[in-house]
Amino acid sequence: MLLSFVISGLGVGAVYALSGVGLVILYRTTGVLNFAFGAIGALGAFFANEVLNAGYPAVLGWLCSIGAGAAVSCLYGRLVAPLLAPRDPVVRAVGTLGFALILLGTMGWYWGDVPRRLALPSDAIFFEISGTRLTLTRIVALGFLLSVIASVTLTLMYTRLGLAMRALADDRRLSSILGVRVISVELTGWLISGVSAGICGVLLANLVRLQALHLTFLVIPAIAAAIMADLSSLAITAVAGIAIGVIEACLTLWPLLAPYRTAAPFFVSLLSVFFLAFRAHQSGRPR
Amino acid sequence: MTLLTRGEREDFDQSSLMKPGGKQMSRLNALLVFCLVILSGMATAAKADPIKCGLSNGKDATGEPINIGSIVSKTGPDDFSASASAAQAYFQCVNHNGGIGGRPINYIVGDDQWNPEVATQLRAKMVDDQKVVAMVGSSSFVECAANAKSYEASGIIVVAGVGVPRECFTSKNYAPLNAGPRLSTIAAAQYLNEKNGAKSFVCISLNIPNFGTWVCDGINVWAKANGLKSDTILIDPGSADATSTILQAAALKPDAIVFCLSKNTILSLLSAADQQGLSDKIKFGSGAAAYSRELPGVIGPSWNGKFVTNMEFQAIDSTDADNQNWIAIMDKYAAPNVSRDTFSQGGYLAARLVTETLLKLDPAKISREAVATALRGVDNFQSDILCSAWYYGAEAARHNADNTLRNAIVDGKSWKVVSPCTKVVDPELADIREYEQKMRR
Repeated sequence: MLLSFVISGLGVGAVYALSGVGLVILYRTTGVLNFAFGAIGALGAFFANEVLNAGYPAVLGWLCSIGAGAAVSCLYGRLVAPLLAPRDPVVRAVGTLGFALILLGTMGWYWGDVPRRLALPSDAIFFEISGTRLTLTRIVALGFLLSVIASVTLTLMYTRLGLAMRALADDRRLSSILGVRVISVELTGWLISGVSAGICGVLLANLVRLQALHLTFLVIPAIAAAIMADLSSLAITAVAGIAIGVIEACLTLWPLLAPYRTAAPFFVSLLSVFFLAFRAHQSGRPR
Repeated sequence: MTLLTRGEREDFDQSSLMKPGGKQMSRLNALLVFCLVILSGMATAAKADPIKCGLSNGKDATGEPINIGSIVSKTGPDDFSASASAAQAYFQCVNHNGGIGGRPINYIVGDDQWNPEVATQLRAKMVDDQKVVAMVGSSSFVECAANAKSYEASGIIVVAGVGVPRECFTSKNYAPLNAGPRLSTIAAAQYLNEKNGAKSFVCISLNIPNFGTWVCDGINVWAKANGLKSDTILIDPGSADATSTILQAAALKPDAIVFCLSKNTILSLLSAADQQGLSDKIKFGSGAAAYSRELPGVIGPSWNGKFVTNMEFQAIDSTDADNQNWIAIMDKYAAPNVSRDTFSQGGYLAARLVTETLLKLDPAKISREAVATALRGVDNFQSDILCSAWYYGAEAARHNADNTLRNAIVDGKSWKVVSPCTKVVDPELADIREYEQKMRR
């Protein structure tokens, strides 16, 4: 029985993880905690749904979502983010929250609240484990997660762009003095984040539901995963995201806790904040 | 000067030489065509605006506005604003058709964001500051519990389009047009039992005070009274993991699963059930929230002939006169992306009822007290959207006039009505049925 819920939680957990990774990459590059990640993904998913409803192949839907996510993310990253760059991290984060609300309002105005379902051909392909179907879409979600982590890690470790991104993460001002093209590198961060949002948008619209408001606020578990990794490690973010998804699913087994299982991300992130604070206290580092 | 081409010249020559006296014939033809155009124009004008609302005189209302309020749950886990959107469309139509004796209706809609505190603030603003004469077309998950007592104290009558939690059906001044989620979900379960032989049920609803437990208790009480089995699963409105919920329900091995959730949550659960291959193994049904025009087209072919929903009102594509009037008003006065669903029908009915009640009053003497007295006197509001005439029930301690319902099943990309108006069997309705019997006497 437990295995069924682990399988169920794996898919959503993988998307939480992928969203968290997208957040961490952007945070490490630009210092911006992107609250608009979910809304950008939702926008991509709506575009993908339009393409799929018009009868085009699923690949085109994916590309459309990724393209829309990347375009919107880069637009904010190029036009608004540089203006807020000298401000506090809180102001930069609130800027993205404002952007999320603009996107949310636009989606509500254009697409309304009519029920929509984003079905993918991969939903029909599945493996049965312990009486539960593990659909190809869930496997694709895990595959995307691993490939994004691998490609971003390799980029950060072995390319000049990665070096510039790491330099920016350490000290924006110093990197600029040393000749790092700050705007261009930051824009790459926004691009990677937008691509991740586009992928997550389609997956969440399929695994959860295609509804602007719901998808916009699914950024919360992703933030929880990123916080658990102290907004630094991609691998820990990935593990944390999957853990949140699986814990949320497995809580279904306990009738007393089941109605409150959506609180799992908050609870888990709260525990991790205490743990990180305790560890910092032990090592004498200020937090 | 434009020269004719050779072909055009030949066409012209041939037409004028077709018959003897060609030019005269052309004039006659032109006259005939002119007469036909005028006649067809008159015919079109005669049936130009089949919409009926208010005075239906085509004149804009320009007098002193009458304030009417509405509170809906729009932003939050789900959007419940379709009822007020339909009421707004109807009132716009009324304002373009003479208003209430020349006075336009100023319809004020507030979004409580699923937050009781916001609902209380909105009520205070509308009732105390904007001096609304009544609340019409409301549809909220939180406002009944937050505001029902205050409405009673202020002498405000609420004719809600859609009542949702328990308090909407147990308050003295709150009278919804719809049957409510409890009756609606029992009606779907009743159908699955009678037509599909389902003997064990799982009721899935929202973990919201006085909503989920109240609705699923209805199924439990009904099941127990009929020797059937029933279990309850309550979920958080923001729950993302539909698959686990469906697996939890399936693990209880029921014959049928009935939902009392919002349509988007139902859609995600049906998608999860579809992905788990459960559509052939378990019967699925729902309260009226699932009854929207769009749902059958998006849930996928696996649910064809399998997913049953209660309707609360008439079929949304019914060709009956009042239903057609609702559709026409929505098409003319509401945006295309506003849902045309059961909740929209409820909002339309609430607005129509109140408009017709206000039209019976002296426009110069419309006050909160006069409107409340008039609304309390409504005892035979007729519409083909309802199964039976709606009444307020002035002497009743609570209001639940709509308690005879129909069901529909997914049929391709639309719904097919599968049961006639049937009385819902809920022990909690005893007082209402008793009141109705007294009324008939």
